[in-house]
Amino acid sequence: MTVQDLATLIVSAILTAGLYATMSYGLALIYGVMRIINLAHAGVMMLAAYMTFWLVAVLHLNPFLAPCVVVPTFFLLGLAMHRFLIRPLGSAPMIASLLLLFGVWLIMQNIAYLIFSSDTRSIFTQYTLWTIHAAGIPISFNRLMVFAAGVIALISLHLFLTKTYPGRAIRALAVDPEAAILVGINTSRMSMLAFGLGIALASLAGCLMSLIFSFDPDFGRSHLLKSFCIVVLGGLESFVGVALGSLVLALVEAFSVMWLRAALQDFVSFALLVLVLLVMPNGLMSLFRRRA
Amino acid sequence: MLRVEAINVFYGEVQTLWDVSFAVNPGEIVTLVGSNGAGKTTLLKTISGLLTPRSGAVYFNQTRLDTLASHRVVELGVAHVPEGRRLWAGLTVLETLELGAYVARARREKKQTLEWVFALFPRLAERKWQLAETLSGGEQQMLAIARSLLSRPKLLMFDEPSLGLAPVIVEQVFQVIEEINRQGVTILLVEQNVSHALALAHRAYVLETGRVIKTGRGQDLLNDPQVKSAYLGL
Repeated sequence: MTVQDLATLIVSAILTAGLYATMSYGLALIYGVMRIINLAHAGVMMLAAYMTFWLVAVLHLNPFLAPCVVVPTFFLLGLAMHRFLIRPLGSAPMIASLLLLFGVWLIMQNIAYLIFSSDTRSIFTQYTLWTIHAAGIPISFNRLMVFAAGVIALISLHLFLTKTYPGRAIRALAVDPEAAILVGINTSRMSMLAFGLGIALASLAGCLMSLIFSFDPDFGRSHLLKSFCIVVLGGLESFVGVALGSLVLALVEAFSVMWLRAALQDFVSFALLVLVLLVMPNGLMSLFRRRA
Repeated sequence: MLRVEAINVFYGEVQTLWDVSFAVNPGEIVTLVGSNGAGKTTLLKTISGLLTPRSGAVYFNQTRLDTLASHRVVELGVAHVPEGRRLWAGLTVLETLELGAYVARARREKKQTLEWVFALFPRLAERKWQLAETLSGGEQQMLAIARSLLSRPKLLMFDEPSLGLAPVIVEQVFQVIEEINRQGVTILLVEQNVSHALALAHRAYVLETGRVIKTGRGQDLLNDPQVKSAYLGL
């Protein structure tokens, strides 16, 4: 293996990590604020992929403008899901929301089968085959744009969470809801906002992935499991952790190709998940936190 | 200013407050003393809307609090420094303080309030970029108090502010409470440090197993033989 190959592999892993971080952060945000594991995450990614397909293949929208339509739509859908599905659950145990959202995923899948059939679709655009060469390393233009879109979204979200009142309120709510109430934060409205943002991020991930991968109504299943792997690696509630977890998973996957058949890539992420749970159940961040 | 009228409060099926009534007048320091499990924390949580009484009512000036959403109570000018400080890990001192001024009324005056609070707690000004959890215990208590001040309360309620602090720091906390009161904020104080609390308070109520069993001036209760034997170990 030459240095060039190694560099190509690492660049490709970093580009994948950006996408992984986008899809995982939505899951982590919803869990952090509401202690809800959003099993409908995969369904949202899948529906967003179909919506992108419709916008690009049927309405001939530029694929990189598709997120501007998809993300706001799913943000509103997320607000509605919170209002009509999550809020009525009140303080029911976690299993209730888990089952409910699993049901929502099944419904989304079946709606997709009904409308779009089980045919595999992919989006082919004028950018699909473009490649840029930087220092001899080939980079797919499509992947680079997808990476950039994901990173821009995550940076905007980070600024929102650290610089604005509602963003800080969401963080406070994630750490200590009762203390949040005591400074006058409307917790049900803020968790609604967080849920909307989580769904919006999932839809962004689905939209971006549809530009790279082919998809069918079952799309998102393995990505959901990869997201679990990443949030476990990253320690569930931290921004840096999710980014780090994404990078580790993407690197391990990229390098495993050298020894394993590509078809076994999913196996790698789950093996990693099991390994992490066994060896460091508190995630990567526990390596940095050395306090007793 | 604050009127609690015959409230009965339950945790699940267990009744923790029985027909509790009391009042706080503008400008006063009122303290609620009583042993562990007497219902002091429950009482404060009911006033700030974290718990809802099954019967009875809570009034702040002319507004009924117990039917309001809890975040509205802060808007009206009632703040609560919770037991155990309840700061947010991962937020800096300044972020914590700014969130203290979350409600619209307080947000407008945030700049002046911050100046006032930093004058009151110079240590917090020095450490405003530090994460809340890296402060010492005493500084964390000061931050919790400062956060509640940022909401510009007319009535400020303290739940066990001296808990887990060194005696020197406890002294400082009580001085701060007195200073805040002198600047025009009415205080409702819940404390296990009975002698200190009674010495500070204008009036006091003694709570036992969810009922008010005694009331009077702080100084008088301090000399009350029953209070002396039950709470002061004399």
